[in-house]
Amino acid sequence: METGPLAQQSRSFKQEEEQLLVDRCRQGDRDSFAELMRLHQKQIYNFTYRMLGSEEEAEDLTQDIFVAAFRGIRRFRGEAKFSTWLYRIALNQTRNRIKYLARRDFFARQSRRLRPGEESPWQNPELLADIAPTPEQWTLSKSLAIQVQSCLNQMAPQARQILLLRDVQGFSYEELSEMLSLNPGTVKSRLHRARAALQECLADKLE
Amino acid sequence: MECRKYESQFNDYLDGELSLQESEKLQFHLRKCLSCYRKWNSLQKTKEILSRLPNLHPPAHLSAVVMARLKERRLRKILWPFDYIPRWLPLGVAAAGLIVSLTFWQVLPPSFSFRSFFSGQDNTLNMSGTSSQSAANFSARRGGSQTPVPVMVLRVKDFSRADRQLESMLRSISEPVVQEREPTRSLNSSSARLIDVKVPEQRFPHLLRELHKIGHLDQSEVEVHRLANPQRQKAISLRIVVVGNGSDVEIHHLRK
Repeated sequence: METGPLAQQSRSFKQEEEQLLVDRCRQGDRDSFAELMRLHQKQIYNFTYRMLGSEEEAEDLTQDIFVAAFRGIRRFRGEAKFSTWLYRIALNQTRNRIKYLARRDFFARQSRRLRPGEESPWQNPELLADIAPTPEQWTLSKSLAIQVQSCLNQMAPQARQILLLRDVQGFSYEELSEMLSLNPGTVKSRLHRARAALQECLADKLE
Repeated sequence: MECRKYESQFNDYLDGELSLQESEKLQFHLRKCLSCYRKWNSLQKTKEILSRLPNLHPPAHLSAVVMARLKERRLRKILWPFDYIPRWLPLGVAAAGLIVSLTFWQVLPPSFSFRSFFSGQDNTLNMSGTSSQSAANFSARRGGSQTPVPVMVLRVKDFSRADRQLESMLRSISEPVVQEREPTRSLNSSSARLIDVKVPEQRFPHLLRELHKIGHLDQSEVEVHRLANPQRQKAISLRIVVVGNGSDVEIHHLRK
């Protein structure tokens, strides 16, 4: 992450722009909401994809999250960052969707489908063409990526979400604490347990 | 013991949360302890793998779909602006109302009057469509019988003329035939009248012929009654409703 004065200035501009867009959205401006969506949809989509392990479900869920965000934007007082508020909605919606899908045996079917060596979205060359816009961003082998997703799917949703928010999305402990309504100590201990679980699951690949 | 202490610091070190002094101590330990180094290395790789997971591009149509859903929602809100009342509720209430109405319709007698029910009057007496007093008298004069009396509806063009004809005809059949006459029971109307008669069985065809001459007679209910009670009776009790043309509402009330 960039930390120089220029990067800080750029972040501050981004926040100001975001705040302006949020203010316009609260007055019912849909174009501003479309712009806000453009800024956040990639992170939200990737988060939901990693949580659910399915692109179709991730797309549906991302739509629901943004529709819910637009419905609730009048209640957003600007006390927290917009992204923190948006992720709170995303977490609630994801929790509900996981419950819904679990009742329909979705994850059991998903894990059968994602067994290493079998056909999966990650082995589809057309799909992989869309992945990793910059070369340095993607050096993991396909099989390892499948294994990681498989391990994530096996983890409890609470552990999975905290791991993704911290180690993939890069939120700070304070932000996580606010999003999850937990004290920072609990966030830390949960994250450490989640990392240990993933480490154990990937043990053979890490040696 | 020392290894366990350093192991507990791995995550904080990974997140850059250890002080400089603690970090140096940990680095020193990692250089000399292979077991700890392997564990640390494995944890570090785990985090590295997560941070290098490829980012998928969301579908290009995602934003358009969301905006379309918001637009649709706006339309729905115009049609149903009550956010906290589910849209199925009015339908549910209507369905419940229909069920309750049908239940009442089936359970209550057809002559049950809601107006008198709510005004506290006795429905059983009002079933004849008269005031309580006259209904009681009427019932007594009919010998207190509660068995339904078959009704014949006589539609006439000129009500007053037909009324006069009917009066003389009924007298002519035989004097004691006309048992009861209730001209005032016709809801204060000058175009409808209700007459209760008791006619000997052998004179009944004659009565029908005479009534047919006066106007259009609907005797289906009497026929049904006679079919349902095949035993020959000495006298037939029946009710004649005389109405001018177009007084269907009054027929309904007088039937009651």
